[in-house]
Amino acid sequence: MKLRSPPGLHYPITVVELAKQRDQDITRSSPLFTYYYESVVTEGNKYGETREVKKRFPAKFDCSTDGIIGEWFIKNGTVIHGSGVDLVEIEEPCTHEIQFGSLCANCGRDMTEVDYLTAERNVDRATINTTHDNIALLVSQKEAVRAEEDSKRRLLGAKKLSLVVDLDQTVIHTTCERTIAEWQADPENPNYEAVKDVQGFQLADDNVAHVAANWYYVKMRPGLEDFFDRVSTMYEMHVYTMATRAYAQAVAKIIDPDGKYFGSRILSRDENYTDKLKTLHRLFPTNTDMVVIIDDRADIWHYSDNLVRVPVFNFFPGAGDINASFLPKQQELVTSTAKSILPAPSLPTDSIGEEGETSNPFSVAAKPTETVLIETSNGVLTELEQQLISMSSGDSPEVLEQQVKEQEKVIISQQIERPLLQKQLLLDQEDEAAEESELAVETENGELQSSEHHKHRHSILHDDDRGLDVIEENLRRIHRTFFDEYQRKKTGAQGGRIAELRGEKSPKKRSLEEFVPDVKVLMPRMKREVLGGCTVVFSGIIPLGLDVQFSDFALWIKSFGAEVSLNVTRQTTHVIANPDRKTTKVKRAARYPHIKIVNADWMFQCCTRWERVDETPYLIEVDAAERGGSPFGNLEDEDIAVTGDEDGDNIDEAESPVQLDMSDEKWQSLGDEFQDFMDESEDTDNGSDSDSESVHSEAGALAESKSGKKKRKRTTGSTDVSDAEDSDASVNSTSRLQRRKKRVLERVTSLTNVVSADKSSGLPSPETTGPEEGQADEDGKNDIVANPGVGDLEEDDEIGAELLAGFQNSDSDGEGDGEE
Amino acid sequence: MFFLKELEKTIQLHPSYFGPLIRSHIHRELLTKEEGSSTGKFTIVCILDSFEISDGQVIPGSGYAEYIVHYKAIVWRPYKGEVMDGVVTSVIRSGFFVDCGSLQAFVGRSMIPSDIKFDAAATPAQWTDNGEQVIEKGTNIRIKIKGLRSEVDKMYAIGTMKEDYLGPLQT
Repeated sequence: MKLRSPPGLHYPITVVELAKQRDQDITRSSPLFTYYYESVVTEGNKYGETREVKKRFPAKFDCSTDGIIGEWFIKNGTVIHGSGVDLVEIEEPCTHEIQFGSLCANCGRDMTEVDYLTAERNVDRATINTTHDNIALLVSQKEAVRAEEDSKRRLLGAKKLSLVVDLDQTVIHTTCERTIAEWQADPENPNYEAVKDVQGFQLADDNVAHVAANWYYVKMRPGLEDFFDRVSTMYEMHVYTMATRAYAQAVAKIIDPDGKYFGSRILSRDENYTDKLKTLHRLFPTNTDMVVIIDDRADIWHYSDNLVRVPVFNFFPGAGDINASFLPKQQELVTSTAKSILPAPSLPTDSIGEEGETSNPFSVAAKPTETVLIETSNGVLTELEQQLISMSSGDSPEVLEQQVKEQEKVIISQQIERPLLQKQLLLDQEDEAAEESELAVETENGELQSSEHHKHRHSILHDDDRGLDVIEENLRRIHRTFFDEYQRKKTGAQGGRIAELRGEKSPKKRSLEEFVPDVKVLMPRMKREVLGGCTVVFSGIIPLGLDVQFSDFALWIKSFGAEVSLNVTRQTTHVIANPDRKTTKVKRAARYPHIKIVNADWMFQCCTRWERVDETPYLIEVDAAERGGSPFGNLEDEDIAVTGDEDGDNIDEAESPVQLDMSDEKWQSLGDEFQDFMDESEDTDNGSDSDSESVHSEAGALAESKSGKKKRKRTTGSTDVSDAEDSDASVNSTSRLQRRKKRVLERVTSLTNVVSADKSSGLPSPETTGPEEGQADEDGKNDIVANPGVGDLEEDDEIGAELLAGFQNSDSDGEGDGEE
Repeated sequence: MFFLKELEKTIQLHPSYFGPLIRSHIHRELLTKEEGSSTGKFTIVCILDSFEISDGQVIPGSGYAEYIVHYKAIVWRPYKGEVMDGVVTSVIRSGFFVDCGSLQAFVGRSMIPSDIKFDAAATPAQWTDNGEQVIEKGTNIRIKIKGLRSEVDKMYAIGTMKEDYLGPLQT
């Protein structure tokens, strides 16, 4: 250690004599050298006169450490003018590189001692924690680098990389509902097959949930064991979870009973210092070149380049991540494939059951991605409140307390309300109803249907997640790319090696640094190839009020090389849209055959499978009328110019935080009624000029629904069209946004009437709120036109009239569009 | 090292416990609260039966009664240089952790004889000389305390294995 002149001495000082010579031992607080300094003092004599005298004071300089004297940088007579001047090199017997509980692990001395000689506290020498399961053991930077070099060499030798694995919703899913135990005990239950391998455990020190003996039920992602088995040949795996240590260990015991995959490499919230973020530097402080992460959330990793984002594993619907209340709130995803999670008790037609089934294989991999809102079990929190909470989340104790309470609430609500059981009961009811209606159908039509299909009760749990296959494929690719690159660099460098040997630098030292590729470079490169050259526009996907460019989706797709733009332009290649709603962007994009209008599933597929998936199955049907026969077709170029000029329409359509929870059959019945209505009115409308394109869209919808293909999205088209209008209004100032939000909120109350009029579940849906807010933002342009329609809505209870109103709305909007 | 030590403890008792069984309540309270606790200097291992309870005093405002209890207990206090047995709880590259009762100790790499090497490839990871000495999670081990530090309710120790007769115990 190099000793420097400390601050606080009376500079300048002049060295008188060095007390020790080179290679002599010195002990702490023994004198190193003597010096003198000069100072002016006031001196009095016996006559009472005072005068200022310059005096010399001798002093000793004490050594602050034990050791052996190395090189002296000063000699007798040297004048030191200030602090920070090199004095002497002292070789310490122990540099305290590893410290345990502030004790040096090498010499056993207490590192916290501070005295008059302490220039730098010994505890500050070792500040890095690289241990998974202990926060008391700290090492110095040097030691950490050394350790990492070691493990790097070992891993390269074994042809392995490091893999950091998240637990909750990545490889397992946990719930606290004891319904699971009951289902497990009952082989008759429709969910028995799915839950029979669920394992439960209790935590002894479960004081979080003030509920005695809380049971946790852990479902492993299907194929987990094989996954670990295969991946462990390519990766050394670590667990990194935001759950407590006890929980993490209990889960590890379930997923890895022999400890052969993870060993003791388990890091939990207790050792993470913060509960907001996960960072690789906690485990790999100096070098993250060979680390890959799998996690279902990217935000808590700050969108790290090492991250392989995996589809969420959501086995128990509505259970969410029980350990997520400590994490920052997830940006809410608008789910496109809104499956009937809360089936409203209504008259089901039997095609519904089929639909639910057949849509399953299609959304197998995508299903996990449609994150059911994490806080659904809390239920009461609106989006706004959640945002407020997430904004105010600092590290204050109140917040922590609140988080603890929230977690408690989630757990308790799972225990008491038992959402799964409720859902299953609902499903059972529905099944029964379906069976009855089917019987009715059978007797009516007299034809034999596949009645065995309905013999078993539907289960709420689906054991069909295939996310791990996708993950494994990605991991395999990364591993292969990494070691190909490594091999290439190594052999490539072999030739130059001789020159190198002849040259100056030691080749051994350079080799590791140069040959080892960086995952942080490789992975983004691989990912960027996937959607390179795509320019993507989101429409109806990202909730209002979020900056599109920094939304979760945009960041995600951007990491795959796609560009995200705000408006439909010539460069646009894909529009990712909400199939339930026809936004202006979709309509605009529909005029260009080269722009593919796809649903969000396409993006999920691309981003999870790391390949450009064929768009065809994900295309959103756009009617021929909108495609070709649009009256604005000749305005194309102008239109584009206008769009380009429109200032940043960086906010998407208003999203009601409440998902539309109309069941399929509800839609169906609505559609049927609508169809009837349309049949009546078609003649009159078709005769008139075709300047309202929505008429066409409805007619098209009619044709399609007649042809047997059920397109429930289409039936809502009429209201959606107008809903889209607000995306045209350029909203760039926040005040504007706030005004709009306020307006939306104001309107919600009156709109509930409308919804109850059409006998849906009574929740305001985005579709129904759409028209009003849309018009509100048309700078009052459309207000006059639209209002009569709204008036109609409120006056008349009949569905036909209501649909007529919606019809008129779209009509007027079509005109509004034309005016622009 | 174990000691017999006289200690004093103030116990507050809820009014609902006032009654003929009050002494046993105090006894129970003392046992549950004190036995196994660590003061940072020593750990209370076992409270002996005979103890004196002062007269109770009701605290104004709360209704609780306060008793001062004098008791004797067997306490354990580790010393620097003491040899003790413990169980290995975790094995890492830079050493291993040992639990000696209430004391957590760490044995660093420099405190392990040089013929015992770390083997990361083994499951679970272990320190071994490829002979009969194997240190893995759960191994009983004898170490000597090299350094000791106490915080308010916790003690940390650095152990060494680099002397005669120290190391894994044959079972």
